[in-house]
Amino acid sequence: MKESWMRRHVIAGGVLLALCGMSAACDEKLSDLTGPTPNLQPTLSSIQREIFDTTDSSGRQACTNCHTDAGRNPVAGMNLRSGVAHTSLVGVASSGKPGAVRVVPGDPENSYLIHKLEGRAGIVGTRMPRGNTLLTEGQIRVIKRWIELGAPND
Amino acid sequence: MSHRRVLLFVTALAVAVCWLQPAPAQAQDDPDLDLVPLQPDFTVVAMPTALRLPRYKSSFRVTHRFGRPLGAGDFGDLVEDLFGLDSGAQIGLEYRFGIMRGTQIGIHRTSDRTIELFAQYDLMQERDGRFVNLAVIGSMDGTNNFRDSYSPALGVVVSRSFAPVGTVFLQPIWVNNSNPLPSELTDDNDSFLLGVGTRIRVRPTVYLVGEIIPRVTGDDPGVNQASFGIEKRAGGHMFQLNFSNGLGTTMGQIARGGASNDDWFLGFNISRKFF
Repeated sequence: MKESWMRRHVIAGGVLLALCGMSAACDEKLSDLTGPTPNLQPTLSSIQREIFDTTDSSGRQACTNCHTDAGRNPVAGMNLRSGVAHTSLVGVASSGKPGAVRVVPGDPENSYLIHKLEGRAGIVGTRMPRGNTLLTEGQIRVIKRWIELGAPND
Repeated sequence: MSHRRVLLFVTALAVAVCWLQPAPAQAQDDPDLDLVPLQPDFTVVAMPTALRLPRYKSSFRVTHRFGRPLGAGDFGDLVEDLFGLDSGAQIGLEYRFGIMRGTQIGIHRTSDRTIELFAQYDLMQERDGRFVNLAVIGSMDGTNNFRDSYSPALGVVVSRSFAPVGTVFLQPIWVNNSNPLPSELTDDNDSFLLGVGTRIRVRPTVYLVGEIIPRVTGDDPGVNQASFGIEKRAGGHMFQLNFSNGLGTTMGQIARGGASNDDWFLGFNISRKFF
């Protein structure tokens, strides 16, 4: 009787421990969400490297093809080159839509950059990026997360 | 987590179950076969109770939550829609089996293609002179037919009967990956729930039930799921009509909360014990 009781507890304990162990591995991987930019992270340096500076494998154009001061005036006065992107984005009023702010730290829903990337109603001009290939939902989520975290210059 | 690892886990669980030798014929005096009038079913509305399932016996449950909020439109619309019966619904089918005395395992599948595997292990019972019934529960949800977004849960169910009035339930439970987003994109991706429920016996076979399942820490979108209802026991059947502010019936769904405190949904549970 006692042996049976022990065995029951050992088995039940084993199953519960297995559940605990498995749970640690249950989180989704960010790379599964970010499609053509699997290394994308919610930091400005990563967004700069993977989104602003790079035309990715899906054909989505690098932002700095237009938003640069290298040999031209940046479109909409927004320079996304490395080193100056933060000062062009965070807390800066949109030049296209009066009253809108490009990036409101901690508030992606009111950041005009997100409105432009998602093509929301009320944006001035076209949805970004130009061309046939847009950012994926996962890529936009990562940018939103960077803004949620306060849009640091990290 | 990869599908392969989950299959490995399920296989290991099955092997553990198979390792348990078939027992001699069920003793007819097994107290688990007796009706517990104050705790007659394995769930309150969505949250589990500490009711034991006799060894090698089983139980089946249908959960049904109509998708039309009762407050949408005017009363005439609601009647025309037969209180939501004409709208879509979230339906769940559940089967549980007693693999050994005090231990049950089960599967619950809902019509949004979520599959939940669960196990419950009884630690103590009031009938043995203990102050409360206590059971440990573990479960794992997976969406897309158990291919994606796994949400394991671990907790206990504590219940205390107050004869002849009813039973109160307390369910602290931790749900991992309740927010399906990667941890880099969320502040929390697990939730700690503290479910509280009651079943009040108003007639020999009629009960009023209620539960609220607050997320006390962690990810807590929407509102805390709450439900109440009335039920009738008829032999091995339990028929329950309920009202909830969310459609969740698995731990992961419950951890994600209800839609709004302004939206209540009609639903029902039907369960059948095969013993």
